[in-house]
Amino acid sequence: MLLPGDSGMGSWTAEGRVTDELEAMSDETLCRRIAARDDVAFDLLVARYQGRAYRLAWSLLRHAEDARDVSQDAFIRVWEAADRFRGDARFSTWFYRILVNLCLDHKRRGRWWTRVVARDADRDADALVERQPAPGPDPGDQVSKAQTMARLWEAVHRLSPQQRAAVVLYAQEHLSTAEIADVLRVAEATVRVHLHRAVAALRKELAP
Amino acid sequence: MSVPHRDDLAPEERDLLARAAAAAPAPPEPRWGEYRAELRARLDAQRSPAARLRRWWARPAPIALSFGLATALLLFALQPVERRPDFAAVDEAVLGARLGLLEHYRVVERLDLLEELDVIRQLDHLPSREG
Repeated sequence: MLLPGDSGMGSWTAEGRVTDELEAMSDETLCRRIAARDDVAFDLLVARYQGRAYRLAWSLLRHAEDARDVSQDAFIRVWEAADRFRGDARFSTWFYRILVNLCLDHKRRGRWWTRVVARDADRDADALVERQPAPGPDPGDQVSKAQTMARLWEAVHRLSPQQRAAVVLYAQEHLSTAEIADVLRVAEATVRVHLHRAVAALRKELAP
Repeated sequence: MSVPHRDDLAPEERDLLARAAAAAPAPPEPRWGEYRAELRARLDAQRSPAARLRRWWARPAPIALSFGLATALLLFALQPVERRPDFAAVDEAVLGARLGLLEHYRVVERLDLLEELDVIRQLDHLPSREG
């Protein structure tokens, strides 16, 4: 079977196909096999998570190249630390923790530098907002809606990195507050505070 | 959004967050084949012996060990050099100190007699061979 994406590398065995047995395995089982240095299991897990990992990293970093690098770093960490996955949480939670921490570290490390180049990245993102399709019969309404979306996106971007991570994990990845707390290694109450503050900031942004 | 959570958020607040998440423009999608090939190359580089060695040296224990070794080497290199003794000079000094003895060579020549001094002192007490 082909992996999502294309027919490049991935979970192809030496015989040229992925076994159904591997396909059916849970993420947690694949992780245990990765701990035993199973390359095919690793490729399969990458194929399962690559899209989510990249999208999440992009939402937090807002930079395509950084998102690509950091999401790949997260997969490399999975390979290195798979034997430390205890299995008391879902693999996805463990993986998101690695990824979000790498993103937050990346932002902390590159803060002074990103200030310098942020304008270009923002311009790219703004261009993407502008490129969003505007289907529907009323162009006026659609423009207004697109502008509202762009303002919301900007408002999310202005949140603190932890708040933004909480919002993205909650609303985009559909994690529970307990899981977000686990990912961010904070109390669940802190996550709720992050979400409430984010809501307040968004409301303020949308106020006439 | 229909995800039930203990988040204390009102439905409209959840909706606002969902709209905010949906407002994110679609990121430029990578070519996943290239993405995985790049990841594989990075992973292979990571697993190479040279990379392992670099990572090993980056750990705290080897850093402390190498720092300790470097310090020891530095201390060893900087310690005051103790000059090796010049044996000829020592011999000369000893001989020089004995010049006085040489002046009394005649006396010194007979000093070996002193080695037998104890025997000489006991001569009177030695049992006679006659008995």
